[in-house]
Amino acid sequence: MKIFTCIKYVPDTSEAEVKLDSEGTGVDSSRFSFDINDADNYAVEESVLIKEKHDGDVTVVSIGPKSSDVMIRMAMAKGCDRAIRIEDERIATHDPLMVAKVLAGAIKDQEFDLVFTGCMAEDYGQAATGVALAELLGVSHAAYVKKVEIEDGKVKVHRELEGGLREVVEISLPAVLTIQTGINEPRYAPIRGIRQAQKKELKVMNLDDLGIPEGEVNAEASRIVLEKLYIPVVESKAEIIEGEPEEKAEKLASILVKGGLV
Amino acid sequence: MGNVLVLAEHRQGELRDISIEMLALAPSVAEALGGEVMVLLLGSEVGPMAEKIAGHGVKVLVVDDPLFADYNSDKYQKVLSALIDDYKPKLVMMGQTAQGVDLAPALAVEKGLPFVPDIIGLEVEEGVIKATRQLYSGKVNAQVALKETDTGLVTVREAAFEAPDPSTTGAVEKIDSPLKEDLDYRKFVEYIEAEIGDVDITQSEILVGIGRGLKEDKNLPVAEALAEVIKADLCGSRAACDAGWLPDDRQVGTSGKTVQPKLYICMGISGAFQHVAGIKGAKTIVAINKDPNAPIFAEADYAIIDDLHKVVPQLTEKLKELKG
Amino acid sequence: MMRGMKMTTENQTFAEKFDLLGCIQCGRCTGGCPVTVRTNLNVRRFVYDAYDEGLLEELARVTDIWDCTACHTCAVRCPKGLKPLEVLIGLRSLVVESGKTQPTVRDALESTFMEGNPWDKPRATRNDWMEGLDVRIAEPDQKVENLFFVCCTIAYDPRVQVTARNMIRLLKKAGVDYAFLGTDETCCGSEVFTLGEDGLFEMLIEDNTELLNEYRADRIVALSPHCFTTFNTHYPDLNKPVIHYTQLLAELLEQGKLVFEKGLHKKIVYHDPCYLGKQSGVFEEPRRVLQAIEGVELVEFNRNRERSLCCEGGGGKMWVESESKIERLAETRIKDAHALGADIVAAACPFCVLTLDDALKAEGFEEEMQVAEIMEILGELEEMQDNSSSAQEVED
Repeated sequence: MKIFTCIKYVPDTSEAEVKLDSEGTGVDSSRFSFDINDADNYAVEESVLIKEKHDGDVTVVSIGPKSSDVMIRMAMAKGCDRAIRIEDERIATHDPLMVAKVLAGAIKDQEFDLVFTGCMAEDYGQAATGVALAELLGVSHAAYVKKVEIEDGKVKVHRELEGGLREVVEISLPAVLTIQTGINEPRYAPIRGIRQAQKKELKVMNLDDLGIPEGEVNAEASRIVLEKLYIPVVESKAEIIEGEPEEKAEKLASILVKGGLV
Repeated sequence: MGNVLVLAEHRQGELRDISIEMLALAPSVAEALGGEVMVLLLGSEVGPMAEKIAGHGVKVLVVDDPLFADYNSDKYQKVLSALIDDYKPKLVMMGQTAQGVDLAPALAVEKGLPFVPDIIGLEVEEGVIKATRQLYSGKVNAQVALKETDTGLVTVREAAFEAPDPSTTGAVEKIDSPLKEDLDYRKFVEYIEAEIGDVDITQSEILVGIGRGLKEDKNLPVAEALAEVIKADLCGSRAACDAGWLPDDRQVGTSGKTVQPKLYICMGISGAFQHVAGIKGAKTIVAINKDPNAPIFAEADYAIIDDLHKVVPQLTEKLKELKG
Repeated sequence: MMRGMKMTTENQTFAEKFDLLGCIQCGRCTGGCPVTVRTNLNVRRFVYDAYDEGLLEELARVTDIWDCTACHTCAVRCPKGLKPLEVLIGLRSLVVESGKTQPTVRDALESTFMEGNPWDKPRATRNDWMEGLDVRIAEPDQKVENLFFVCCTIAYDPRVQVTARNMIRLLKKAGVDYAFLGTDETCCGSEVFTLGEDGLFEMLIEDNTELLNEYRADRIVALSPHCFTTFNTHYPDLNKPVIHYTQLLAELLEQGKLVFEKGLHKKIVYHDPCYLGKQSGVFEEPRRVLQAIEGVELVEFNRNRERSLCCEGGGGKMWVESESKIERLAETRIKDAHALGADIVAAACPFCVLTLDDALKAEGFEEEMQVAEIMEILGELEEMQDNSSSAQEVED
């Protein structure tokens, strides 16, 4: 079983106050902590579990800066065999189709049975790269995968739908699966293991090394334009609901139902 | 022609809300583009659904064929690909849903379409389609323009738009399926319902959290009643689980579970840091606590500073009324 | 922060590493172990069984090993000078090395590795507690008498940030020469060690030693007993002594540099933190500080000083729940304090404060009693009221 697992180095913005950078087209990431995208972490674990069960081989692929090497080493400490880190500022990384093209460029000439990606990235939240990658590689795909069962030449997957319902589909190999969080329990990579993982191959490549013409994946090639970022106007953090207990209950009930939260 | 082609979504015989929600957006966009709205409904024996959609004053194209008895994104892709060639809509719209994410990016790559997923707003500015979407846990908005093209593609976030009421009656037009044969590389097997009684709160969409402020376990029904009305799972702070009000696997915090519900309503929870760390993934937090200085209020989106015993039973009643 | 990872070679057997043959199976360890009242942990048994290398994997799967709080009572009592708790930590290491550790432990360890603290907070926000205060930040080339080490929990947890904030005010009032580290301050590794991640602990020791040795300070003052004891026990190459802040305060009192302007008419019982008291012998200094406050009636628990009842905050217990349904030790402690008629349970450790506070709520005594860090109490006296919502009001 030859597997490629694509991972992304993302900031944890769940608690942080996000501010735009001076240009207004990016965010000021100086106070963020960066780590592997949550869903990608589950994808790494799933690929290693399959490797262990089916005698496989896992290559990690990531587009990111040198500071993300620690994330890649941790993935290798968990059992991935080698890694390719792609770094090239010409890539239009805000466009998932361009990102998918770069990943496809790294994978398409290799032999593979499965390609895993996380189902969605915590920073841009587009949930698009994996499925676009499948189309570019010309293979089957399934998104939001909660269970993987390898059969002969096929893979049976459970896709997680809204409300906890599962859709079971059988797709032919090779395939791209975008992995949903909660599919497994990611293992811990002890520091000793990370140190040993330093011996595994981490190849750093740019577009030229990959043989991908800049004109296929840069801002000009992208069919979308990120015009501007802005902080949406949000009321002060806690909206205090006032009145007598019954009024408060009524107001809150209304907010919840109208806001589609319940 | 500036038509907007909307892909309706349905499951197990029911039309999903997103299908109608998109109709809050599509007509104004179609008008700005100089065209009309066409809704594509793919399925088997979907007549009643088609009528329902048509009741919103739009034209419904129906492909009614046993080939589409179950959802299959590859089959849908084939159909959409052919219809894009035939009808050349200016914009194709579908939900950013489990179905949509499995389909839209592949379609975009196949047809070379400008593509923006998970939009919460859409405008046409001097003929250019501009979408609004969110980044970084909803803390930053982005305005993304689709470059000039024959056909663009967007997926729409669920519950971002309010479904319009039915208006005039549109038209239903049956068309032949562009797809004639079954596909062998992707087969639907079955649906599996969510397991009952086996609650993994880390996957719960709505949670009701209880804390020390509940005072004793004979008050548990107050929280349970609320949870039932909004179909929430119960979880608790360490104090609540320690007190035996909830089993340990419902404990949220650094020595318990980390949860990421879209809605977290907590009562009688002070918001000690170790508990708060477990809810940081919650999208919307409602806190009910009589202590105005409770740290939980720093995390909440909505705050009710009052005795939960006075507020929650009323809240449960009001929600029951509104949800009908 | 990976400046270098020199690992010790692991060629010893378990028996050699923990000197298991030195054990005479007298049972003083288990006899003094505080958690035996509520769990099945029998550390004497583990010392015996761990001699069989073939049994180690099975022993590592016994959940009892996670009940140990690393209070060190067993080590203090052992007539052969052994540290029975370290056998349990050694077994925890086997679990950690396998990667199949509890998710909560995994997250705390990963966070410590990536961001220098076990609380999943960004390193960049470590000094946010300083907001509004004018704090002197240490520079390597500037001499300073007292270099402060805050502690991850005090830095990030709103309940105990007051310890550091009030310290700043006190230091300024007393005219102390001090400096705090910037966001380079990284976890001392106290809990990393007790959770069994010795690879990470070694890395922290090496990096922190290098960092702290860069500064030209006379001594390091730790706000938390965990950091204090960990530095003194596990950091052989630090080039300056480390004291706990209560020792500094006792010194200031003696020198007449610390004068309390207001009195406090309260009955206070002082809870000796394991990491300050029985592990490092600091018992009197905190008491001297409390007794210097006019009006304070200081009472003692029956189990005080070396016999202090562990609050169960250490030993990784912030991230691992015990399966026991029996009353937590912290709750027992709170009941004892209540029986004494104490108004305040004072502690000088962030973990003690957090666990005792939880216990106070569980017992429902919030209206009658308070748990307070010593710096919180002093904060009231010096009219250094912290206006942030995290401060507890000491009612008069």
